[in-house]
Amino acid sequence: MKSPFAEMLASLTRQRGVLGSMVVGESDGLIVDSALQVGVKGSVVAALAASLYRRARMSADAAGVGTATFLQLEAERGRVCAVGRNDLVLVALAEPRANIGLLRIEMLRAMEGLG
Amino acid sequence: MTVAVAEEWVERPLRDFVAEARVLLALLLHPSGQVLAQHGFTRAVDVMSACALAAAIHASSGELGKQLDGRPFGALHHAGRERQIFLAPVATGKSRFILLSVFDQQSSLGLVQLYFEEFRAALAKAAPIATTQRPPALATDFEGELNRNLAALFGRA
Repeated sequence: MKSPFAEMLASLTRQRGVLGSMVVGESDGLIVDSALQVGVKGSVVAALAASLYRRARMSADAAGVGTATFLQLEAERGRVCAVGRNDLVLVALAEPRANIGLLRIEMLRAMEGLG
Repeated sequence: MTVAVAEEWVERPLRDFVAEARVLLALLLHPSGQVLAQHGFTRAVDVMSACALAAAIHASSGELGKQLDGRPFGALHHAGRERQIFLAPVATGKSRFILLSVFDQQSSLGLVQLYFEEFRAALAKAAPIATTQRPPALATDFEGELNRNLAALFGRA
């Protein structure tokens, strides 16, 4: 059975350089649905990315700068991007060659469909 | 952060699990209810109660799994309003244990599951090589063993 997120995730993962995307519960860190390339450790990334996003959201809130909109973690061999809404986090993993500007727009647009 | 152990080899894996998964309470026990290590408890009586309850839950869910699925169920997660428990079996060679952990919003089920897998591997690696499975505690020895472990955990040995 397809989840309501399946199409959106497939569309994100089809972008050049995107290794996978998933919808994760912010409070439990568990995968709701995912579209991942073979070899991506989905459950591990989901748990850690959800925790990271939650803390970033709380930090932004504590700093009085409002709601966290887009989280981007730059690493040596790629990026982890996250947006959230209604206790759900949309996480995308991308290689350095991915068009992050486009991915960001797509993720922010997709966020409207979360919950 | 305090981790008290009755057997030294479990300390490092449990300490790492507690730190990484950010759990509030952790108990490592034998399926009979005998405690091996604990984190976060301040009273021996709480450890005793938690061990007895965890062993009973594990036994019940194991039996239910056998009835419904032909084999014992694995990990169990129960979410409360503020706190959640994660109870799961751990095997090290020929010995079997149960890990009970309690966490709140500072952690998550995903994180606890993730670090539990690491804990399971670390515990198996640290375990002394057993040639035979440890026999279940006899009723006559049980109280003495339990008291000895509790005394070791709470510094009254």
